[in-house]
Amino acid sequence: MLGRVSDGEGSSGEPSIDVLFARTAAGDRAAFGELYDRTAPRVFGLVRRILVDAAQAEEVTQDVFLEVWQQAARFDASRGAAVAWLLTIAHRRAVDRVRSAQASAERDLRAGIRELATPAEDVEERVELSVEHERVSAALGELSEAQRTALAMAYYEGKSQSEIADALELPLGTVKTRMRDGMIRLRHLLGVTS
Amino acid sequence: MTEPDEELRALAAAYALDALEGEELRRFEAELARSPELRAEVDGFRAVAAGLGAETPELAPPPSLKAGLFARLDETPQLSPADAESAAGPAEAAPSAAEPTEPAARLRTPAEPAASAPGDELAARRGRRRLVTTLAAAASVAILAIGVVIGIGWSGPNGWGAQRELAALEAAPDAQRQTVEVSGGGEVTVLWSAELGRSAVMADGLPELGASHDYELWYIDEAGPAPAGLVGANSWRVLEGDFVDGMVVGLTVEPAGGSEQPTTEPIAAVQT
Repeated sequence: MLGRVSDGEGSSGEPSIDVLFARTAAGDRAAFGELYDRTAPRVFGLVRRILVDAAQAEEVTQDVFLEVWQQAARFDASRGAAVAWLLTIAHRRAVDRVRSAQASAERDLRAGIRELATPAEDVEERVELSVEHERVSAALGELSEAQRTALAMAYYEGKSQSEIADALELPLGTVKTRMRDGMIRLRHLLGVTS
Repeated sequence: MTEPDEELRALAAAYALDALEGEELRRFEAELARSPELRAEVDGFRAVAAGLGAETPELAPPPSLKAGLFARLDETPQLSPADAESAAGPAEAAPSAAEPTEPAARLRTPAEPAASAPGDELAARRGRRRLVTTLAAAASVAILAIGVVIGIGWSGPNGWGAQRELAALEAAPDAQRQTVEVSGGGEVTVLWSAELGRSAVMADGLPELGASHDYELWYIDEAGPAPAGLVGANSWRVLEGDFVDGMVVGLTVEPAGGSEQPTTEPIAAVQT
């Protein structure tokens, strides 16, 4: 399952992220602290990329983990990896912030696409390169440029389908098709079963 | 149960990317709540989207973020496993259901009262000391003045006129105050007096916003939020407008110069 690799299960005997989630749900602050230590760089990296602004990214990241603390009991390992759940919450909150603050006007609209085309090795802030990361990079390379652009603008810039259509001066239907086809292709390449 | 509308089903990928909005989003979520099939489709696309998230380089947040987070845990009740079972799926319901969309309702969300975590004591003491200094300065000005004259014309949010108002507030027999943590760092203290019909806010250690944004204060009552002036990251001001007991004093981040209505979620709110 996607996300398992980086969950750090079993390595050097430390508890898996799933276990830390369960302990967090039971009110165990030490477990929550460890969960934070192991996942915050990933969450913050994503949120910061979407929001660009550091102060806003910190606020949103804190809100994400507060929500994890509140909602940990809701996490269902049978429906997906813990890290995926965390990133889903982080992405939704970051996008909410982009839309509510109209922050998109202040940022480099093409940043997401440019970064996507840049090998991760060039990024100084990179901390680790997981197997999963390599798989995703490889899979993205299999998409058409048009599909990749649509997915990047949605995921890394927090743009809606209509905003992407406006920005690219394309019919909405075309953007919807590219996004859907790109995601179906990625799903296949990554071996995610639905 | 009917088969999910084909047109809506085709939106599952976009939904997992958080790329739907407005009416389309509402229709999709309504369908999602009814259709386990659609939910499974969304779960699959969410795993793919998380792969895109994992593609982003990791970045260590500042240590203050963790300290601030733990300071808020005491006031954040956890969902019990029983509640979780009866609730809808994880990410569908969680983020959006927790956030009312009306600005007034959002601002009404009770703020976390000042936390008592040990790591915060220092910051809290520093805040109090600064407040005391401010108030002492203001009080010395007030001694020179005879009576309390409001809006005498020493303009500016921190001018003499405002300092005298602050001193009067501090001295009011019914003066009350509350300090709350601000999500994102720092804290704000609200001081109010229904008798004077005035309140003041002191901000301590809020993140600097730069030229493009300002912190804006709000008086919120049944009629909704009313703008009550801007305040600096490490500053104070007497709020614009009349204070009535029971109002909520809220703080949001707004585009530079402030807004007529809040455009972001409040980062602090105090129920008077």
